[in-house]
Amino acid sequence: MPLDASSSTATVWAILRKECRSEWRTRYGLNAAVLFAVTALTAVTFAAGRMPDQPGMLAALLWITLLFAALSSMSHAFVREVESRTLLLLRLVASPTEIALGKLLFNLVFLCVVEVITVPLFLVLTGAPPVRWAPFLLILGLGTLSLAASSTLVGAVIAQTRSRGALFAGVSLPLLLPVLASGVAGTRAQWDGMPIDADARLLAAYAVALFGVSLLLYDHLWED
Amino acid sequence: MIWRILIFLWIATTMVVALLGAPLVPVLQETTRVLYFHIPSAWVTVLALGWSMINSVLYLIRRDMRNDDHAAAAAELGLVFCIVATVTGSIWAKSMWGSWWNWDPRETSIFFVLLIYGAYLALRGSIEGEEKRARLSAVYSIVAFVAVPPLIFVVPRIYSTLHPDPIINGSGKIDMDPMIRWCFFSMLLGFTFLFTWLQSLRVRVSRLERRLAT
Amino acid sequence: MTETAAVRVGGSKLTHRYGRRATGVHDLDFEFDAPGAVAVTGPNGSGKTTLLRILAGLLRPSAGETNVSVAGRDHAPKQRRAVLGLVTPELEFYEEFTATENLVFAAEARGLASPARAAATALERVGLASRSAERVAGFSSGMKQRLRLAFALLHEPPILLLDEPGSHLDEAGREAVRDVVARFAARGLVLLATNEPEEVQIAARRLELNGHGLGDPS
Repeated sequence: MPLDASSSTATVWAILRKECRSEWRTRYGLNAAVLFAVTALTAVTFAAGRMPDQPGMLAALLWITLLFAALSSMSHAFVREVESRTLLLLRLVASPTEIALGKLLFNLVFLCVVEVITVPLFLVLTGAPPVRWAPFLLILGLGTLSLAASSTLVGAVIAQTRSRGALFAGVSLPLLLPVLASGVAGTRAQWDGMPIDADARLLAAYAVALFGVSLLLYDHLWED
Repeated sequence: MIWRILIFLWIATTMVVALLGAPLVPVLQETTRVLYFHIPSAWVTVLALGWSMINSVLYLIRRDMRNDDHAAAAAELGLVFCIVATVTGSIWAKSMWGSWWNWDPRETSIFFVLLIYGAYLALRGSIEGEEKRARLSAVYSIVAFVAVPPLIFVVPRIYSTLHPDPIINGSGKIDMDPMIRWCFFSMLLGFTFLFTWLQSLRVRVSRLERRLAT
Repeated sequence: MTETAAVRVGGSKLTHRYGRRATGVHDLDFEFDAPGAVAVTGPNGSGKTTLLRILAGLLRPSAGETNVSVAGRDHAPKQRRAVLGLVTPELEFYEEFTATENLVFAAEARGLASPARAAATALERVGLASRSAERVAGFSSGMKQRLRLAFALLHEPPILLLDEPGSHLDEAGREAVRDVVARFAARGLVLLATNEPEEVQIAARRLELNGHGLGDPS
């Protein structure tokens, strides 16, 4: 565990900037992720059609699209390091927790960028009813936090296995089902005009729990 | 040897008594019998999951391969019992409510546990090196533990329930005929013994495999 | 350069196995003080790289322990990155970044006071100053090796762990490396894993790993 909070912050910040710069330079990850998200979105909305009066269905489809967009793009943060063999460099300049935090923040930013493109597109293509922005964004934000926390940890584990891509979705899913459940319920509730407190609280608690537990575990991930 | 026979006798006797001698629960009628193997299976599923997760934590602390043996063995057995519980539950649901699967909260919970077991075992299967496998699967197991309370307790509350909770509430008030109660708890115990015995066998196999590889 | 007051690297009953196969790291006991150089020798696959990785805190040994203390303060394996520099052929850089960017990133992550200056100094010491603005993707293997050395010297650590530092380098490069190492060894501690006779000669002390050959460890 890092002993000095301010130097750790600087390290995490350096790693985050490095990730962003690296992503910006190659743009492979972002391009692929946005393309996939839009493709998934198109397929879903085309098949389902316009649904101005089915908030339950809308909520479900939105979260499924986001889930798949996340599952397809999040694993690459660590897999890339393993494949380019730069993980050793990282381990020599930062602690496992610092590395993980940097990657987590990057994954969060990445997901937000993907969502900024995907969510409005979804609302338009499905003819969704007007959104109550504050609750909608709150549920979305909290769910994204859990998506990022889970994907970072699972990504770090999966990067060290043999069949990375195939495993990532399957191993992540149990961890993300609570997010799916509360996310759909909360998103639906804001369209139904119901309060979202319970769902928001659940999502927040879950994100905190995931984040907290994973912080304790990162130290054990790289020992060889 | 003796354990094998004792456990067999215990479960067999209880089963016979339960099926022939015990009365039927009014709401359930003939399907009362599901009490005697479906719920014990579900119970063992949860027991195995808990035992597996505890051993995962112990492994990370102690780095003793025996803990990993236990975690993996419990997960394998848990998966089997989970499949049994899910399938028997589904069959019972069909006869009781007319459909094989309803996303009823209890059904949903057991299915989620099935997914966790599946993910854990798939993960183990894809890692080379026993130390690495033990360590990484222990990490996953502990994170999955965070997901379990929401999956088992919270998510089901979001949806309404068809499950006969008032009658068969496992931990709360048991409102059953005494004969049923005896048979039920006896089966619960029998299944627990079964699990313990199978677990010890599986762990022994793991240890032998490891020694052979030396 | 850091004060060499009580810089010590040691190991006790150190053992490491890969699966069931033993390596030359078997019940090792050693202790080395700065200044100076130690040559770690042994056949291919005997565990030289393994030993260095264990000392660097990257690899948890099967049995036994290591200790690294600088200025009387003990450093646990997971906290040793700050006091040592590691050069190993497995170290790769970010190909999409320039040499300078890689080192500046490393310096920032390490929390150095002036990352840009540290990077520039390190690059100069290994003779890469003129190529500093080029992306690593275009580097030859010799240049990458120099970059590894620059990376290890970046934070001016008291201890240097070098795994085959002369690999990929021509004679001029190898001589430059020997020069850097010799100057470093005047005040710090260098552990040099090598079979090159000229490199072994720099070191006054030796640690011999008579291993079970595993073949080429990479």
